Amino acid sequence: MQQVQDLVTIIPWNFVATICNLLIQMYLIKRFLFKPINEMLAKRKEAADAEIRDAEKAKTEAEAIKAEYEQNMLEAKERANEILSNAQKTAALQSEEVVREANRQAAAIKAKAESDIAQEKRKAVNEIKDEIGGMAVEIAGKVIEREISEADHAKLIDEFIANVGDAS
Amino acid sequence: MELDVSGARIFYTFPFDIPILGKITINETLVVSWIVMAIITIACIILTRNLKVENISKRQALAEMIVEMANNFVVGNMGEKFRYFIPFVSALFATSLISNLISLIGLRSPTSDLSVEAAWAVVVFILITRQKIKTNGFGGYLKDFTTPIFVMTPFNILSELATPVSMACRHFGNILSGIVINGLIYGALAVASSALFGLIPGAVGDFLSKIPFLSVGVPAVLSVYFDWFTGFMQAFIFCMLTVMYIANAAETEE
Amino acid sequence: MDFTVLAKGIALAGCAIGSGCALIAGIGPGIGEGTAVSKALEAIGRQPECRGTVTSTMLLGCAVAETTGIYGFVTGLLLIFVAPNMFMNFLG
Repeated sequence: MQQVQDLVTIIPWNFVATICNLLIQMYLIKRFLFKPINEMLAKRKEAADAEIRDAEKAKTEAEAIKAEYEQNMLEAKERANEILSNAQKTAALQSEEVVREANRQAAAIKAKAESDIAQEKRKAVNEIKDEIGGMAVEIAGKVIEREISEADHAKLIDEFIANVGDAS
Repeated sequence: MELDVSGARIFYTFPFDIPILGKITINETLVVSWIVMAIITIACIILTRNLKVENISKRQALAEMIVEMANNFVVGNMGEKFRYFIPFVSALFATSLISNLISLIGLRSPTSDLSVEAAWAVVVFILITRQKIKTNGFGGYLKDFTTPIFVMTPFNILSELATPVSMACRHFGNILSGIVINGLIYGALAVASSALFGLIPGAVGDFLSKIPFLSVGVPAVLSVYFDWFTGFMQAFIFCMLTVMYIANAAETEE
Repeated sequence: MDFTVLAKGIALAGCAIGSGCALIAGIGPGIGEGTAVSKALEAIGRQPECRGTVTSTMLLGCAVAETTGIYGFVTGLLLIFVAPNMFMNFLG
């Protein structure tokens, strides 16, 4: 007959052996299941991380390029604006110049015309004076032919003309 | 009829005594628990062969699922700082589960020996106590016994000791009740079948009545409950309680 | 008259009666677990999305509630398988 243990009993040797078994089992499970799997998971995570990092890098680069492009665009626009405003300024300046020149010329023309008119007027007045003098002399000669000498004659005319000049 | 409900068989007894441990024996419990350990280790090695980062096989998916489940179980119930308990809890669960289920192939469960569960419960108890001392300090741990009033100290000590006792007895009782009931049913069915086939006259009846035909199919139904369900439940509950007790011990009073 | 036989008989009878009584402990967990399961079913009926949590918590609670029954069972086993041998050794 084979020996058997009691059904409900605690045997110290089994107790100790079981604790040892449990600890060994723990080590074995850690060594053969968790270590490889965790290493593998870490590797996978690493790979995923690397991919994400690459994507991030590419994104950053693209953004840098975009920022540069925008910067360039901005600069170009600024330059264009500058050029435009310069041109406008120049144009305004020029037009002002032109207007001022025109005004000056007009003024000069006007002044010249006025002086011309004044001269003409004087000339005309002189001519009229002469004419009127001639006519007066003629008329006076006709009226008082003999009574007045040549000298008196001229004196009279001058007086007359002076009067006329004053009157005019 | 012979009813065979007995303890683990002893295969060999070493002829010398060790003072505290008593007689050293090679018995069924130990042999089967070594088989269990071998099964678990070989399963781990097979599961983690040819690990790949991409294009994983079904085997690797299963291994990863197990690891993930263990991680979630421990981290979900105890928190991130108890990550180092994962191998312990997994080892406890795997050993308990395989030990409970190994009775399906006709071996005697190591878990039907109270020494095994007592050993596990004591290890868990040591871990709980260690965690309590770590959390509250040794003085705080001792002071905890006198709450709420000093008179309650014996009861607190009793309730503290009841933890490993109840854990061990719960697991042991469930598994052993399965074995006892299975033994009773096998015995009853053997008697019933010998009575049934004994009705056939002559040598044929004599021969047939020796073979317990009825015990072929019927106990399988019970084994679904007593082996599969109880085995799984008890392993789960043992680990769950371990995790809960340790997590509770880590919670500070304030 | 040899009282040893009588003592053994009384001891065995006490063990048997005691183990039978110990299994009365099975009533409590039975009622308790029944209540627990019915409440869990109510909870699942009210909130079917909590099914997993409720089920696992219920099983845990059942297992804890079962402890007293298991104590009774272990006591019964002790009385059947261990105590008689002890008494026999004691009484010679």
